[in-house]
Formats: sequence, structure tokens, C-alpha cells
Amino acid sequence: MAASLPLSLQLAWLIPFYGFSGMIMAIPWACRWLPRNGQRPAAYLNILVTLLAVLHGSLAMRDVWLSGPHHISIPWFSAADLTLRIGLDLSLTSLAALELVTFMSLVAQVFALGYLDKEWSLARFYGLLGFFEGALAGVVLSSNLFLSYFLLEMLTLSTYLLVGFWYAQPLVVTAARDAFLTKRVGDVLLLMSVVALAAWSGSMEFTDLYSWAAEARQSGTVAPLAGTLVGLGLIAGPMGKCAQFPMHLWLDEAMEGPNPASILRNSVVVTAGALVLMKLMPLLQLAPLANDVLLAVGTISAIAGALVALGQVDLKRAFSYSTTSYLGLVFVAIALQQPGIALLLLLCHGLAKALLFMSVGSVIATTNCQDLTEMSGIGRRMPATLSAYLVAAAGLTGLLPLGCFWCFGQMVSALQTSAPLFAAVFLLTNLLTALNLTRVFRALFLGTPLPKTRRCPEVNWLMALPMVSLTVVVLLMPLLLQRIDPVPGIAAFPLGVAGVVALSGGAGVAIGALIPLDQFRSRSIARPFRSLQDLLSHDFYTERVYQLTIVTWVAGLARLTNWLDRRVVNGVVDGIGRLSLQSADNLKLSVSGQLQSYVLTVIVAIVLLLMALSWRGIPGVL
Amino acid sequence: MMPSPALQLPESLHAWLSQLPLLSLLLAVPLLGSLLILVWPGDPAPNRLRRLAIAALMLQLVLSALVWLAFDPQQSGLQLRELHSWVPGIGLEYNLGVDGLSLPLVLLNGALTLVSVVCTREFSRRPRIYFSLLLLISAAVNGAFLADNLLLFFLFYELELIPLWLLISIWGGANRTYAATKFLIFTAVSGMLILGAFLGLALFTGSVDFSLTPVGSDRLAIGTQLVLLGALLVGFGIKMPLVPFHTWLPDAHTQASTPVSVLLAGVLLKLGTYGLLRFGLGLFPEAWARLAPGLAIWAAVSVVFGSLAAIAQRDMKRMVAYSSVGHMGYVLLAAAAATPVALLGAEFQMVTHGLISALLFLLVGIVYRKTGTRELDVLHGLLNPQRGLPLTGSLMILGVMASAGLPGMAGFIAEFLVFRGSLNAYPVATLLCMVGSGLTAVYFLLLVNRAFFGRLAITPVLDPLVHSRLDVRLAPVAPRETIPAIALGASVVVLGLLPALLGQISEATTTAMAQLPVLLAAITQGGLS
Repeated sequence: MAASLPLSLQLAWLIPFYGFSGMIMAIPWACRWLPRNGQRPAAYLNILVTLLAVLHGSLAMRDVWLSGPHHISIPWFSAADLTLRIGLDLSLTSLAALELVTFMSLVAQVFALGYLDKEWSLARFYGLLGFFEGALAGVVLSSNLFLSYFLLEMLTLSTYLLVGFWYAQPLVVTAARDAFLTKRVGDVLLLMSVVALAAWSGSMEFTDLYSWAAEARQSGTVAPLAGTLVGLGLIAGPMGKCAQFPMHLWLDEAMEGPNPASILRNSVVVTAGALVLMKLMPLLQLAPLANDVLLAVGTISAIAGALVALGQVDLKRAFSYSTTSYLGLVFVAIALQQPGIALLLLLCHGLAKALLFMSVGSVIATTNCQDLTEMSGIGRRMPATLSAYLVAAAGLTGLLPLGCFWCFGQMVSALQTSAPLFAAVFLLTNLLTALNLTRVFRALFLGTPLPKTRRCPEVNWLMALPMVSLTVVVLLMPLLLQRIDPVPGIAAFPLGVAGVVALSGGAGVAIGALIPLDQFRSRSIARPFRSLQDLLSHDFYTERVYQLTIVTWVAGLARLTNWLDRRVVNGVVDGIGRLSLQSADNLKLSVSGQLQSYVLTVIVAIVLLLMALSWRGIPGVL
Repeated sequence: MMPSPALQLPESLHAWLSQLPLLSLLLAVPLLGSLLILVWPGDPAPNRLRRLAIAALMLQLVLSALVWLAFDPQQSGLQLRELHSWVPGIGLEYNLGVDGLSLPLVLLNGALTLVSVVCTREFSRRPRIYFSLLLLISAAVNGAFLADNLLLFFLFYELELIPLWLLISIWGGANRTYAATKFLIFTAVSGMLILGAFLGLALFTGSVDFSLTPVGSDRLAIGTQLVLLGALLVGFGIKMPLVPFHTWLPDAHTQASTPVSVLLAGVLLKLGTYGLLRFGLGLFPEAWARLAPGLAIWAAVSVVFGSLAAIAQRDMKRMVAYSSVGHMGYVLLAAAAATPVALLGAEFQMVTHGLISALLFLLVGIVYRKTGTRELDVLHGLLNPQRGLPLTGSLMILGVMASAGLPGMAGFIAEFLVFRGSLNAYPVATLLCMVGSGLTAVYFLLLVNRAFFGRLAITPVLDPLVHSRLDVRLAPVAPRETIPAIALGASVVVLGLLPALLGQISEATTTAMAQLPVLLAAITQGGLS
């Protein structure tokens, strides 16, 4: 059976190991064991193995196309009634996601060669990127809840290390900490559910879990409360990974890390989180509440994220909030049982957002500045960056017939009768995103150059090549969508819907083009506007809320525990010690040398002992 | 397909190995090494004594590996037994045996004692006694793990106490007298309680064979069982340690030198957990099943208390010490649940905690010796290669992530097994323990962020004693410290990726322990009532 499989599928378990092997190969350079100073070889080796992963993935995809989906299952550990396996799902969807991951990783790595040209520890960066890619590739292929959790946690660790790459800067330190802890909260909640499901259902394969969940719902073996808690725990993990409210803070702070890692984080990491959520969806039938929570979280994230993005003056943050917003839309689509459209949206968003971050990265690399109020008039000087930005913006919004336009059209037509409210959420998000992109476009590319942007040549070819290739890919997106051709066809929505989508995008562009933008007076004088602006630019003061609630509580509990430990627990111990020393000191004085007092003590003790022994209570106790 | 490196020995070699008195040799080699170092003629340099100790420990490790080879993982009972009468009048027999519960710990003991000797810097003060005591501890610990007689176990348990007390009180920090005395008193109380329980068992059952057979209610009233088990719980609870009997541990760790801390956290705490499983659960399964719900709550309290207290610590070593308190709580939780998976998880937790905490103490020791401080408020930016500790910092990140239960490292599979095995029995306690596992990430992240990330020292040098070494480039770390640290880190990763290595040794034994008929009957009875 296994022998008849094509080689590319037999060896499919190797795909995540390309990334991990890249990490291991980078170690000698990262640790400076090699006498020569240059760290470029580590980068080249990593790019090579990533290229291999892309090729292997595409071969596997062709074979799956020809021979149908396959499933690989390798035993890993078993003990008593617990069996843990490594399960990989080789279907067209998962392999397409794999190709997206490995291709984006390849593009980002080439881009990083230019972007981190002068970086002193380039090898460490590439090693971490390899680790990151390996974990991601595993997550999208995994057919098994345990393995998914395993790799999601590895992803958390690698995000921490990548965000903390420039660990000497204070902002980076807090960003890395927040990224890790926020995701860790989601992961621990997810772990609780994983452990519960492992204990109840026996198998960790998604397909087994689905049938178990359906059976459990019918027979009612799982208490409603337990089912709800498990469901909520399951969605907490993807919520943290996809930076959804209220666990969104880390993605914005993570912008302190190197830009090539930001490209991956904003496109494929969030995609991987959403893919895991999709795999978990059939389990949520145990918890009807979880679905409502998903809808609420998705809606809040979509609209609030788009609003907060409007208030940002930092170039990268303006778009990282938009990632939160789009993933909110994906959550809504998943919760409304539209997985097909959610997948398309993930694909279109991932590619376009990566391109957007590349163009932004080019600007930052050239100007060494990411403050919107200090930049202007770059457009004419950096044509490739300009075109990348425009194409990415068109791909993200529903105005021109590039990627996301079709997804929005599909979604709105699917929802217009069943859930018109959520259709409106999509349109509003589209409007706000278009507004934000236009606003940044005006500030960055139009106008007269400012001192910091007066001299800004186009980036070198190492950055331009991946950027331009991705521009072409995003431009060709409609053709690709046509090839994928989901049921009922990518353009199967009425002209009216298309008009509404385009109208919402157009309205956003129009508002963005008309609002006053003054870089010298970027904060409004009028009181209400000013407070609104502050509210948005401070992200609804979420960080302060965290500071006042969770952080204060945990710190307070820790201090209380420490006080209890020192004063009460240790105090009793020290007290007993002091008491015995003191009583010994006092007893010392009773040594008088008088025989009669000793005899008296002995007699009293014997009498007490005999009384105790003759008392019938004691044997009964024992 | 299974990555189980079941070593198939030729039949003749296997037979030859099983005829050797391997277990006695495991006691004799470190003991003889210890004596040899004491009586080595002349005035040998400390380094020569160290090499002698390393040689003895290498031999011990090889012997432990031979035991592993001769060991049959399919059998659940004690193997390679050596039965000799010693003082039959009082029931003291020289009976040794090894099973899946003790074999990993014996291997751990060999490896970690070797680590602690290797990482020792030259001691100008009494190197002879120092190395001799380390070897003596290793011998005593091996004896305690291998003893198949209650009194013999107790002898070895007490034998390890005095050398450790000396190691802390002679080679310790400034406040060593207080810490060492505290350690001595606590552990002596623990020993008394354990001896009391063992003698009580003999007194009430009327048989003085001091064997390890479980006691059922047909031989002993359940009330008496509960009292004896209570004494054992407190006795071993002090050693593990569990809240509220833990206060000796942070003090002992902060005053002990690095090698002693490695040994204390890595091996000696395991005597407590081992005793709990072998004698608490093993001798009194019925009473254990009665007390188990309370024990699960105790475990959860211990885990959460230890983790929260660790967050508030400012001294790196104290923080790692409190994390031990938290992590040992998982073992109690697993023992309370007593399902096959949970008990295997307890075994995993013992071994992985031994490796990880040894690694962490080793690294904290390096930082302390290089910078002269362990204060998290003072240390900054140690990961920066300019400071000379990038490898230490990287290994530290590995160690703390393993301790926080990140997959890919050994801590995760141990915690997963414990939680998975205990959830059905004690859902609330298990969930609380998971929260404790989340808190582990909090305090260890604070440690890494404060000490290793961030700028180079940004505070002005106010106190030259504290800050003197913070602004200068530190000398590179010697191989005698990096090599053990790398080895420990590698073993943590290997065990995390191939847990079957350990699982196949222990599974038969832990499953048999969980399926002890008396225990099962007691659990079902408890479930019905």
C-alpha cells in the first residue's frame, strides 16, 4: 500500500524538517564556530532548503492532484491507553497552504538578505526563521490535534525569539514578553482542552474527534458545561495566534522585530492559526456558545482593528492592526459556516498583506524611519515600492477586481439574506481599510518630500526581486482564483453585490483622499476629535486595561504569596526554632543539682506515661 | 516504525550480565571512590582529586548503563535482585533490586553527580573531603533507590543527609549556617517520621520482615494505615518539598554552591517523590485511595503557591528553587490520580525536572560567578556577546522554556502525561496545576527578559561591590561548565523528541503500580461510596 505511493508523498513527513534542518545548519555560524566572519553561507543554506521545501511541496501537490488525498500516520509515543501519533494530512487544501507558507518563507528570506544586509547576527536570524518555517509547515499539514498543539507552541517560542531578535532594545524586550505571554495564555487554555479531549475521546486524530464529538452530542456523554468550556479553550488558542481582541496587543508590539519576520507573521502565521481553527470547527458543536463567541470576537476585531489602524502614525503598526481586522473577518466567515470563502480570503489577504509589508519594509530600509509624520513624497523616487503598495492595497480592498474583491463579493452575497448584519461588517471593514490605505498612501507617497525622504533611492535587487515577483503574483490572483474555481464559481454573485462592494471601497478611498492630512498638526485641536484620536491611537487603552487588571492581579497575588511564605510559613518555622532555643536556655537554669527535684520529675513522667497507656482511648484511635 | 531503541543483547552476554552483582557494584564503586580520595597518599592537587572523582563516576555511569542493558523492560517487578541476610534479628536485610521506577533515577543520579563534579571549580578549602562527600552522596542515593527493604532504604536515606549538610555548611555562602541547620532539622524530622512509619508498620502488623509488600486492610486496620501513611506523606513531603514544608529548600539552594545545588535539585529531591510513590502508594494503596482527593488539592496548592512565590523572587537562584516546589507538585498530583498514564507522567516529571533544574542551577551558577550577583534588578543584557555569555544565555532560554513545558523539550511530555492521566480523576486540581504551568512561563520569562535581554548595564555603578563586574567584559566560560550544560540541554531536547526512550523503561512498572488490585478495589469502592 505504502509502496505504491509516489516518492514525494512517501517522504512528505520530511517537509517540516527542511525548515528545522535550516535552523541546525545555521548554528555553526550563529555561534561563530567558523573562523571566518561572514554569516552569509547560513542564509544561503536556509534559502536552499526552503527552496527544496517549495519544490517538494509542489511535487507532492501534483501527485495528490493525480492520485487523490493521502494520510500519513507515524507512531510517536504510546503508554497504557494513550497513543500519540504524528499525523499528516496530504490534501489539496493543506498542500496549498503548505505552498503558501514555504513560498512566503522563501520570498521573505530573499528579502531579508537585502533588508538585514548589515545585521551582525544574520545567521541567528536565518536559524530562527528556519525553526519558524518548520513549525508552520508542520501546523498546516497536521491532521492531529496533539501535533497541532505541539507545533503551535513551537511557533509561539519562535515568535518570541524572532520578535526579541534585537534583544538589546527596551521596547523589543517588552514586545517579546507580551508576544510570548499573550500567546501562552491562549496556548494554556488550548492545552486544557487538548488534555480534556485526549482523556475523553482516546484518539487525537481530527477525523476521530469529529465522529466522537458528534456521538457525544447525540448521547449527551459530555456535560453541557464541560463541552462549552472545552469549546472556549479550543478557540482561545487560534484567537491568540490570530491576534484577535482581546489578545491582539502582541501583533502590534511585535512590529519592533525585524521586518522580514513581520512579513511572515502578518501573512502566514495568522493564516496557520485560522487553519487550525477551521480544523477545530466540527468540535465546536459541543459548545454552541463558542460559535457565538467567535462571531462576537471576529466582529469586534474586524471593526475595532480597522478603526485603531486609522489612528496609527507608525507605518508598520498601521497595517498590523489591519491584520487583526482581516482575521476578524475570517473568524466571522468561519463561524458562519463559510469555510471555503474563509480559505480564499486567507489566501488573498496573506499574499496582499505580505506584499504590503514588503513595500513598507522597503521604505523603512531606505529611510531608516517608520514615522508617517516625518515622511512624504516618496512615490516618484521609489517606483517599484510605489507599485507594490498600490497593487497590495488593491488586492486587500474590494474596489478593483483583484483578490479580496471576489472574496468580499462572495461573502456579501452569501450573507445578504441570512445575516445582513455581518454582510455590513464586511462592507464597513472594507471601507475603513480602504480609507486607511489611502490615508497612508497620501502621507507617504504624495506631497513634497520632507528632509528625511529627500534622498531615497529605490531598494537593491535583493529586496526588489521578491517584491516585484510578489506584485505579479498578487496581480495574477484573479486568474489563480479562477483556476481554483470554488463551487459556485468565484464570480458567482450578482452585479448589485459587486456594485455595493466596490461602492464601499470607493467610499473609503474618497474619504481617505478628502480628509485633511497635515503632518505638522497631526493631532486635532478640537476636543472630541482629539479624544477619539487618542482612543484609537492608544488602541482603546487596552494595554492600560491589562496593566490595571491581569498584571496587577498576578503581581499582587505573587507579592501576597511571597509575604505569606516569608512571614507566615517561614515565620512559624523560625518561631519554633527560636522557641526551642529559648526554652533550652531557660531549662538550663533549672539544672540545680538537687537530687530530689530530678526524682520528682522522673516519677511524674512515669505516672503520666502509665496513665496514658491505661487510657483505652488511644488503642481505639490507632 | 516505533522509535524504540530496544537494545537486543546476545543471550550469552545478557546471562553473564545478570550474574554480576551489578547493583552492589553501583553502591561499591562510588563508596570506594570516596574512600580512595580520602586516603590518597601525599598531598594531591585538587584537580587530581577531581579527575579521580570523575573516573569513579564514569565507572558508576557505565555500570548504570550495564544495569539498563541487563534490565528487562517487559517485567514490572524488581529485577537483578541480590538478597543477603544482614541483621535478621531486627529485619534488616541487604536486599537490592531495580525496576522501572528506580532505574531512570539511578541513571539520573549517575549523570548528575558526574555533572556536579565536572562543573566544580577548584576549591582551595579541603578538596579531599569535598569530592569524597559528593561520591558518598551518590552511593547513598543509589542505595536508597535500589533498596528492597524498608530499613535498608532508611539507612541510605539518612546516610545522604550528613554529607549534604557538610557540603552546605562548609562550602556555602555567607548565611550558610542558618541554611544548613534548617536543612538538617527539616530532613531529620523527615527521617524520624519515615522511620516511625516503618517501625509502626512492623509493630502493628507483627511481622518484622520490612519487605515492600502492600498492606491491605486484612492485615492492618484502615485507621492505622491512615496514620502511618500520614507520617510518610509529611516525611517525604518535607523532602520533595511540598508547601508548607518547603522553606528549607530556597535557603539551602541560595547558600549552597553550584555543584551542590545541581545535586540537591536534580537528585536528592527525587528521594522524596520516589519514597512517596514506592512507600506511600506502594505500601498503603488502600489508605492512599482514601486520601487521594486531599492529596490532589494539596498538589494544586503546592504548584500554584510555588509558582506565585517564584514570580515575586528577585534572586535567580531562589526563583529556580521555588520553581522546584511547583514542579514537584505535579508528581503528587499524578500519584494521587494513580492512573497508568499519570504514574508514567510522574516518572517523566522526576527525570525531566532532574535534568532541567540541574541545567538551570548550573547556568545560574555561571552567571553568579561571572557577574558576582544573582539579582534580577541589577543584571541586564547578558545575552550580548560582548558580555561573554551568549551560549549561557541561549542555554538558559532552552532551559526555562523546557521548564515552562514548551513542546519539543522534555518538560512538555512529562506535564502532558501528568495532566492527561489526572484530568478525569481530579479535574479541578489538574486545571489549577495547568494554571501553575502557565505561571511558570511568566516568572521564567521575567528572568530571561531582565537578566539576558535588554541593554548592557544602564545603571551607574553605585555600589562597586555589587556592580563592579557588570560593566566589564566577562571572561569566557570554561568548557568544564559549558560541556555539562550543553549535554544537559541536549538530553532535555532528545528526551522531548523521543520520549519512548524513557517510556519503555518505566511503562511496565508504573502500569503495574496503577493496577495493583488492592488499589483498584479501593478506588472503585471510594467511587461507589
